[in-house]
This record gives sequence, structure tokens and C-alpha cells, in this order.
Amino acid sequence: MAPDGAVPPEHRLAYPNVTAGATVAGDLTLSADAVVVGSGAGGAVAAGRLRDAGLDVLIVEEGGLHRTESFTTDPATMIHRLYRDAGTSMILGRPGIIFAEGRCVGGSTVINGGMTWRTPARVLERWERDLRLDGTGPQAMDPYFVEAERILHAEPNQEDTYGRNTHLFLEGARKLGWPVARAPRNMRRCVGLNNCALGCPTGAKQSMLVTEIPRTLATGSALLTDARVDRVLFKGTRAIGVRGRLLDARGRKRGRFTVRAGLVVLAAGARHTPGILKRSWLLARPIGRGLHTHPNAKVVGLFDERIDPWRGTHQAFHIHHFLEQGILIGYAAVPPGLLAAALPGIGAENAEHMAQYNHMLTAACLVEDEGEGRVVLGPDRQPVMLFDLGPKDVATTQRGVRLTAELLFAAGARRVLLPFDDLTALDSPDELDKIDARPPRAAGIELMTVHIMGTARMGTDPRTSATDASGAVHGTDGLVVADASLIPTSVGVNPQESIVALALRNADRWLAKRGRPRAATPAVA
Amino acid sequence: MLLPAPRGAQDDSRVLSRGAALLWCALAMATDRPLAPGTIRILRAVVDAIRPRGHGFDQPIDDDVMRDVQAFFPFLPPALRLGLPLGLRLVEFGPPLFGHGRTRFTAMPRAQAQAYIASFAHAGGLRSALYLGLRTLVFLAFYQHPDVLRGMGIDWQGRAVEQTTRRAALLDRHGA
Repeated sequence: MAPDGAVPPEHRLAYPNVTAGATVAGDLTLSADAVVVGSGAGGAVAAGRLRDAGLDVLIVEEGGLHRTESFTTDPATMIHRLYRDAGTSMILGRPGIIFAEGRCVGGSTVINGGMTWRTPARVLERWERDLRLDGTGPQAMDPYFVEAERILHAEPNQEDTYGRNTHLFLEGARKLGWPVARAPRNMRRCVGLNNCALGCPTGAKQSMLVTEIPRTLATGSALLTDARVDRVLFKGTRAIGVRGRLLDARGRKRGRFTVRAGLVVLAAGARHTPGILKRSWLLARPIGRGLHTHPNAKVVGLFDERIDPWRGTHQAFHIHHFLEQGILIGYAAVPPGLLAAALPGIGAENAEHMAQYNHMLTAACLVEDEGEGRVVLGPDRQPVMLFDLGPKDVATTQRGVRLTAELLFAAGARRVLLPFDDLTALDSPDELDKIDARPPRAAGIELMTVHIMGTARMGTDPRTSATDASGAVHGTDGLVVADASLIPTSVGVNPQESIVALALRNADRWLAKRGRPRAATPAVA
Repeated sequence: MLLPAPRGAQDDSRVLSRGAALLWCALAMATDRPLAPGTIRILRAVVDAIRPRGHGFDQPIDDDVMRDVQAFFPFLPPALRLGLPLGLRLVEFGPPLFGHGRTRFTAMPRAQAQAYIASFAHAGGLRSALYLGLRTLVFLAFYQHPDVLRGMGIDWQGRAVEQTTRRAALLDRHGA
């Protein structure tokens, strides 16, 4: 809280109708018209839409409710609270990809960078034309994007939030003649603290924690936190609820809970939604297949001048100039404790790199992957992600790294650190060809992602898709999906707005099927 | 067709998978305790080998780093809660297996211990994963320590308080 009494509105939000599973003694049985599993971009929006139409809605969230005013800038504290597996998740394959997702009320919207891009028109056209998903073309989706941007409060950063890293990023792009895209972000008067990945203490990021969740709770929805859904309950092919375990603050199992509901909405993310479906003995082959990872490769520029990357906003701009080639370029400030792990060496060697932290600009290329991985159940019945970077994706990654390095040199970097184990740094732009000469080897590339999608993809053919054109699971009744699992191909941009827009679109279809036209969204509480 | 499996097939596979899950849970519960003294001794040697030195990073904070690294353990997934103590045993007893002499890791001089740990980086497989995991934990605890951040001229938390106040004032003033 601010010391002089000035308190942002996000620090004063009420969260009525919340039950913390960590405090419940014994088992719990609940009922609702609709149970929504997950409270991130898809789940919170779907819950809001269903509640606005008059349904009695219960949201079940595996993580805890951590209020904005409790957020700090300390990664060690916040990673425990907000991230699944304390941020240690991995996608297994060649190469292994570090994966991070939220596990808290608000889901990954609490820890993302706030990018609010529409699904590119060329992607939507492909969904409608090639995949025959009716109503997913640019024109049909437009009203849902407009509504998504209202909910997310999309706005560009104001200039007083730009740090030196933003100016250098712009300078590099200008010198190369690359147009930049001013990024719309889900925020309300960002002040450039640059702590997005650990939760925004200022309240500026308009995550689901401070928007749809408190709004729908105020209108009568209920929220059960610290509760992990294990499986969907069926009567024949009809979903009749979910069953799972209550958890303590460390995620250890406590009592059991059961929720009876006529509509089950899975929005647990592209890893856990197929996991729940598989644990529910739905054996269709497409469930869990089609995993896209949208990986990013980090490229760090070292500058003579002091940048202080921790001052000023991140990703106020992106470069979309190469999106047709499957490459998006951005930049971020990574806390020292996290960036150090991406730099080489231990002991004095790592210290030598980190001594230059305040002179670093961390950029990254995001790759629209064409290869597909899958989600399977591990020996503990938890979902495991498998993905190999294919030859074309390796080539795209190397091209993206080269472009990003080129931008950093153009911005004035004297040295650029690369994400390759056999080519760790370049000392001048004359050496950029070394990247092209590198053997196209997936294993030696360091990648991470926060954008997995496609593991319960929409489609018209149950042999190749897990869900139909409205997100309903093929062959079942009353079981629908509302998260990034639905996305049938890699969208090539940060998927937050795509998830929200699809959740809005599909919720209207579920309601229409049940003879309940959607109600107008009430004003934000 | 996506339907619940036939009853008979379900039951057989359920027995098998529940058996595997029970075994897994039993192993995970076995690790759901404070680290054993032997494990802590190896971890302390790992911290000593990995922690940054020189270039302004000589703060005497090994005890704090140890505490923070241990604080992470309960939040790790069961596979890692099980795997990390085993991995630390591999570090301790691995030198003869990996061509680094007959000395145990905890008995090595620092320079030798660093060279040994660093050799895991390119070993591939589990050793590479272990190397990445351990240095991530140590670096996170080390570089986010208040003394280290102060030494780097970084006051992120102070700025958070300042910017939260500023934003509240801006919203008040402009009614945004």
C-alpha cells in the first residue's frame, strides 16, 4: 500500500463468495448450474458471461487468492505464490523448453506481460476456410475482439513509462527501417514498474484478478480456491460435475470435493485441461494432441551506456514486420535472479556477466511453430508435455535470433549473447553470418514459453479434433472447453485476447443451445 | 468416438494406474519432509561452488541462500521433490563415475568442485537438467538477495512503493 494514503482502486477490491479450500475441514459437496474449472483469461470470462445470463456459477481454482496489495517484487516470494510448480515446469523434448504458467486466482493473466493482440486475420481466415470453423473469420470475430478489449482494458503505454530499453529498441528498429507496432496491453494507467511477471503491485495490469473475477463475484458467482479438479463426472455421456482434492497452501492434498453441475467448463490451460479430460477416461486420440508452444529465444545485448532495465515498462512495442515468416520480436526486463540462469557459467564466470546487468537489453524472438507436440499423463496421473522442435521451426528460430541480434547491434550493442550452446556470443554485426552457418540443431537452443495452445483443438471432425466449433467436447453433452487448448493452430502472437474472444463467442453458443440468450454485461463493479 | 471407456477396460487400467499413482504418492510423501542433514551438507557445497564470486558479488550470504533454496523445495512438484535429493547424492558420489577422481564432492577444494559441477552442463540428460535446476535455484536466491540488489544499484521494491503511490495519485487527479 502506498505510504501517504493514496491507494489505487485495485487495492480496495472486494472478493465476496470465496471459499478457500485450504481452510475447509473434511470433504465438501457443492452444486451449481455451471462449474468453471480455472480462473484465467478463458475461465473468468466464461464465468462472467454465464453469470450475466442468469446461471448459478461456481469457479474452481487450484491456486490461492492473492490480492494485489500483497504483491512484492521479490521473485522467490511471488513465484511460490503465483506459479505452478514454483516455475519449474518443463516441456520435454528436443530441446527441453522451460514453461511457466500461473496457478492463482486470475491464472496466467496475473503473471503475463499484458499483451493484447487480436488473432491475426490470416490465421482467422485459415480457421474459417481450411478448418471450416464457422464464425471464426475476421468479420464474425470482430465484435468479440471489441468486447475482449473492453474487458481487458487494452491501451498502449504512455510515453512517461518508457525506459532506456524501450528507446534503444525503437532506435534499433528505426536504423534498420523496420516498422514497430505500439503494443496494446491490458492495463489501466501503467506507470512502468516492469514487474508484470511477478504480479503488478501497482494494480495497473487489468488481469482477471482485478476485473472479471471480482465483477462476477459481486453479481453472485462463487469461487472455490485451493481446489484441484481430478476428473469430470459423467452419467452416460452427459457431464454432471467434477471431483477433486482440496489443497493446503503448499499444494498438498487435504479433503475431497465434489461439484454437481449441468454444465462443466474446463479452462485449466492447455496442459491441464487435456489432463483432466484424460483422467476422466475420455480416450479419443485428438485429446492432448496438437500442442503448439510458441517458444521464445532470448537474445541479450550488452551496451556501453547504462540502461537500468528495471526502470520503465517492457514490451511497449513489438516488431510484427516478420510475422508472415512466423517471427515476432519483443523485449522485456528480466529480474537478475531469473536472467542469471539464462547466462552462461557459474561462480566468477556468471558474476562477470551479471556485473553488466544494468547495461543489458533483453530481447527475444517468438516463433510461430508448425510442429506439434502432445500432452500425456505421467505416472502420477499429472499431464506431461512433449514437444520436439521440427527442422522448419529450428530454421525459423535461428532466423529470428539473427534478426533480433541485428536489431541489438543496430541499437548500439557492443556484444550480443545468444541462446545457442555452440555459439554463445557475437562481438560485432560482422559475425551475424555465424548464426546462419550454425548447424540447424534443435538440442542446443535455449527456449522458454508461456504460450502453449491447441491440445483440445476445435474442429468439425472428431477424428482430428477434441472439441467442436463451439468448444464442446465431441461425443459428450454438457462438457465444454474455454482456454488456449481450443486454439486450432499457432496464432503467432500473444494469445490472451484470442482466448478471451473465443470464450465470449463460445459462451454465447452454449447459452443459445440451452435456450438462454446472453444478457448484457453489467457495469464493472 | 469420444466416450467413457467400456466398463471392463476401465477397471483393468484403473487398477494399474492407481497402483502406479499410489507408489508415486508414497515416494512423494517420503520426500515431503525437511531435507536430511546429509542432503543439506551436499547442498551447502553446491551453493559454495555455484554462487557468484568477484565482480562485486562477494557478499557473505551463503546462509541466506541456503535458507531460500530450501524454502523452494516444498513447492516443487513431487517428481522434483523426489529427484533433487537423489540428484544431490549423484553429485556427491559421482566424481569417480564421471572421471573426476576418487574424492567425494563435499571433500573437493572449491576450484575442483566448480570444474566438476560445470562439467554437468554439457553432459546431457539428467546431469544437464540437474545442473540447470541447481544453478537456477542458487542464482534466484543469490541475485535477489537485498544485499546483492543493493550492490547492483537496484531498488525494485522501493520503486514499487513509489510508483504505486504515483499511480494512485494520477488516477485520483485524472479520474482515469
